Amino acid sequence: MAETARSASYQRGVVGRTLGHLLDSEKVFGYVLVAPAIIYIVALVAYPFGIALWFTVTDARVGDPLGKFTGLDNLKAVLDDDIFRRALTNTLFFTLASQALQMLLGTTLAFLLLRKFRFRRTIRAFIMLPFTIPVAIGAMAWNWMLNPTYSVINWFGEHLGFFQYGPNWLGEENYAMASIIIVNVWRNLPFTAIVLTAGISAVPQEIIEAASLDGASFLTRWRKVMVPIIAPILYIALLFSLVFTFTDMTVVWLLTKGNPVNATHVLASYAFNLGILGGALGRGATVSLFLFPVLLAGALFMLRALKARQLD
Amino acid sequence: MATIAAAPHRARHSRAYRVRKIRNEVAFWLVLGLFIVFAVFPVYWMFLTAFKQVNDLYDPKNNPLVFNLAPTLDQVRYLFDKTNYLAWVRNTAEVGLLVVAITVSLCVPAAYVLARTKFPGSGTLGIGIFLTYLVPPTLLFLPLSQIVVGLGLVNTRWALVLVYPTFTIPFCTWLLMGFFKSVPREITEAARVDGCSRLGAMFRIVLPISVPGILTIVIFAFTLVMQDYVYALTFVSASDEKMVTLGVVSDLVRGDVFAWGSLMSGALLIAIPVAVAYNFFMDTFVRGITGGALK
Repeated sequence: MAETARSASYQRGVVGRTLGHLLDSEKVFGYVLVAPAIIYIVALVAYPFGIALWFTVTDARVGDPLGKFTGLDNLKAVLDDDIFRRALTNTLFFTLASQALQMLLGTTLAFLLLRKFRFRRTIRAFIMLPFTIPVAIGAMAWNWMLNPTYSVINWFGEHLGFFQYGPNWLGEENYAMASIIIVNVWRNLPFTAIVLTAGISAVPQEIIEAASLDGASFLTRWRKVMVPIIAPILYIALLFSLVFTFTDMTVVWLLTKGNPVNATHVLASYAFNLGILGGALGRGATVSLFLFPVLLAGALFMLRALKARQLD
Repeated sequence: MATIAAAPHRARHSRAYRVRKIRNEVAFWLVLGLFIVFAVFPVYWMFLTAFKQVNDLYDPKNNPLVFNLAPTLDQVRYLFDKTNYLAWVRNTAEVGLLVVAITVSLCVPAAYVLARTKFPGSGTLGIGIFLTYLVPPTLLFLPLSQIVVGLGLVNTRWALVLVYPTFTIPFCTWLLMGFFKSVPREITEAARVDGCSRLGAMFRIVLPISVPGILTIVIFAFTLVMQDYVYALTFVSASDEKMVTLGVVSDLVRGDVFAWGSLMSGALLIAIPVAVAYNFFMDTFVRGITGGALK
């Protein structure tokens, strides 16, 4: 009698707690809790990426998003397109030039910020401003500073005697490209600098002192001692900044919209022009697919860095 | 005798030393000053433009670096009275809060199990989520625009509520994993021995101590939303559905005519709060980006 009662209550317990028990399995608990985030990412990143791949081999347009299979027609057309080729060169040049300037200035700024000085926190906050305000806002302020009639930069140039009439910054190809690079460096420099500061300040002071006692010059200490130690953080920072620069269109769009006469397009802005403004989904997706190799290389590199860290 | 000879020598040495030190100091502040001017000048320029009278702003004879006529609030007033600025601010608040809600409710459980339990594939999933952060809007905006059309969200702010979590989730999950990893395992193990379920241990023990971490991702998700331009530009063109950043940089430009004063005042009003919020969490952000690469 007592035995039956006990078994009945045990039974009830099992039924009542099935869910709880199931969730107590580490595996089930893990999968159930991680699932919503994964599903979201699959539905809105992986699936759209699949659609983008489909677009590249079809003549999909906004009016007919399914389109017909056209094989490599889009690729051929894009490779034949002068504006595309210009955009590709521009993107590479813009990315490399921005990165080089950022690394150079960023390292300098990082060493300055590492010193102890008055109002350090406040000054750091001011230096971070370009990165912390929304990028579109910053780009628009520069657009105004580079205005053909009221450019304050030309005002400086004229009053300091650099030139009599300043250039039309955003209206001439080379000046426009230079402006885009400068604004991009302005925006990302604080990020590079602060990541480097974090890296350098983690290098044990004794090692640097030991190196300088051994007679290593500053540059040798930098190349042979600090860089190898901060390499992981340096690479990750470089990678992020590379990927974001390579794929960005905000600065270009708000400064020149790819003009004068399509001379300053980058891949992303040209894809936007073709696909969103022109409605040619297939053509646009083909252009933006050229962003992918860099992303893939970045992702693989990051994967290796993270794996290496997990092995430690 | 010896001491008398030594004294001038020491004085000379210390003066040379002092001169060198001062020269170093001057060079340091000069270079740092250049960096500060480069960083801050555009924002100062925004500030001047926002509060100058129109006659002052567009007079080429004036020194543009100072107020030549008394500052005015006309441009700000125009922004509030003659544009949809308040609607944009409301849209931004609405979209931001919804995105934050989605982000927190998906990231907290995911980050928790990725950081604190081991199951087949957990490591790969964690890295996979982080790598998604590298996928840029400019690769996805074309297909997403068709998904948005398919769901009937075209030209509404709800389209943005749908797509923004694609970049907030990866980053916030990664940040939160760091926070959850730092809560000692022994605490939850003790709770489990005392009969607490896994879910109970998460809600009653780990989450309450991780409130600062969760608050950080709330702020971050909101700032990431305010930083976006590409998705807002792609999905929303109706003026009263715009986010504040897009509205300010697009609606105050009519054809070739830029209402610079109002544009810059609107810009300044967004830039300052975002910059302040971001600045508080800058170090956390850097740690998140580098993924503790130094550890």
